[in-house]
Amino acid sequence: MLKVIDIDAFYGQFHVLKKVSIQIKSGEVVVILGPNGHGKSTLLKSICGLAERVEGRIEHNGQNINGLPAEKIVNRGIIYIAENRELFPQMTVLENLKLGAYSKNARPHEKQNLERVFTLFPRLKERRGQMAATMSGGEARMLAVARGLMSNADLLCIDEPSLGLQPSLRIEVFNIIKEINRQGKTVLLVEQNIPRITDLADRVYVIEEGRISFEGDSGEALNNEALKEIFLGM
Amino acid sequence: MHFMHISEDTILLLYEIVDVIISGLTNGSVYALMAVGLTLIYGVTKAFNFAYGSFFNLGGYCAWILIGIVGLAGGYFSIFLAVVPVLFVVGYLLEKVLVAPLRKYEDWENKVMMMTLGLALFMDNLYVVVFGGRVKSLPPILEGTLEIGQLVFTYLDITIFFLSIGGILLFGWLLNNTRIGMAVKAVAQNPEGARIVGIPKERIFAATFAISTVMVGFGGILLSQKYFISPMSGGAIMVKSWVITAFGGMGSIRGGLYAAFIIGMMEAFVGWGFGMSYGMIALFILLLTTLVVRPQGLMGKS
Repeated sequence: MLKVIDIDAFYGQFHVLKKVSIQIKSGEVVVILGPNGHGKSTLLKSICGLAERVEGRIEHNGQNINGLPAEKIVNRGIIYIAENRELFPQMTVLENLKLGAYSKNARPHEKQNLERVFTLFPRLKERRGQMAATMSGGEARMLAVARGLMSNADLLCIDEPSLGLQPSLRIEVFNIIKEINRQGKTVLLVEQNIPRITDLADRVYVIEEGRISFEGDSGEALNNEALKEIFLGM
Repeated sequence: MHFMHISEDTILLLYEIVDVIISGLTNGSVYALMAVGLTLIYGVTKAFNFAYGSFFNLGGYCAWILIGIVGLAGGYFSIFLAVVPVLFVVGYLLEKVLVAPLRKYEDWENKVMMMTLGLALFMDNLYVVVFGGRVKSLPPILEGTLEIGQLVFTYLDITIFFLSIGGILLFGWLLNNTRIGMAVKAVAQNPEGARIVGIPKERIFAATFAISTVMVGFGGILLSQKYFISPMSGGAIMVKSWVITAFGGMGSIRGGLYAAFIIGMMEAFVGWGFGMSYGMIALFILLLTTLVVRPQGLMGKS
């Protein structure tokens, strides 16, 4: 469904991604691991049209989408879910969710997506009138994921959803992502490390210093001694 | 009884004060409309629009053309119907053509300031060339006066007041209840978040500029009926709008509303006590005091 072919990404003077290629098939959960500041987020943002300057080809269902404005990419069914949440602080949970369905692709499905999201996150339903700014870290993260789902996208690009959360909440977030995947969404997930990665990921990429340094299915990743120590949180 | 006796002078003074208050309220309501528009652009695009005052006169001149030259039937109702879309389109196009291309530069804020300042000079001088240097006047939307006892209110003042307040309420309603309004708020609160959910930021910037052009131009049609349309007065209007916005707190719509009425009132009382020409002086004293005592303004965040 998505092929990233030899892309280079730049942030100001910095050459962040160097000839990076990845592939995501429909229905997969693909995890990208790597240390902070080595280009993981930039890769997601490049795919979603949110990066500053990207050279190379990004194919979505056979068409090059590199260079399209962000809203066109959202319309194609690809959504970015930000690590720092990027919510609308002075709006309610419900208003945030409704804005999640702003794109043309999402509007006709707003009602049913809202129901689905509320089934998935009952706490958001209880708090639909609450201002986003007053939510706890965990709830805000749930809201960010839920807002992403409102876009009706098939491919969710989720940037460090567990960042800064306590261990029990982290497990909850990963369980929800698994559930979302089971319901038919393709997931591209960026994390620094993931406990019990075989439960979640189909395939794993590792980015170090802007280059792919490992690529394989999650079993292979688990058996790689170097990865085990650094990224898999064991 | 002697101590209940109020002299005729005192009564006259009271009437005069009521007059001054009405004038303050009327002007304040139009200032509020203008301040909300300016706060909107600043809040959403973080850009300074120095051509704001010239759009005030654009509204006035459009109405003047329709009344004086075209002879449009239907009174002010049809004038509003005709001018509002014109203002919107002019605002939208000017943003797209003059302001939007500057955003790719790192110091785009300065460039936007210079560009809009240049636009203001251009527009003001264009008015002189096209309409001449002499002031124009617009007929009042409603003639006559409402008399309650000894108090006299002109229907014009009352109409201006309610149309301005109505404009602000309509704007507030659109902001909270329409898709584009929510998108405008989203961009103001978190531009990156807005991009992520697929809101076309560029289009929202242009729409915001257009909406604020409508608000100030509409204010121009209203207030020009009380005063005059004068080609070079854009600068004074712009300064006033900016002082209101700074006094209210940059980016705070509520602050701008309070500030508009306070300044409208202050101007009316200063004009009455010292003469109209002292209005600007009072305005700058207020601005300087604000900047020293409370630089973030009435309701702005420091």
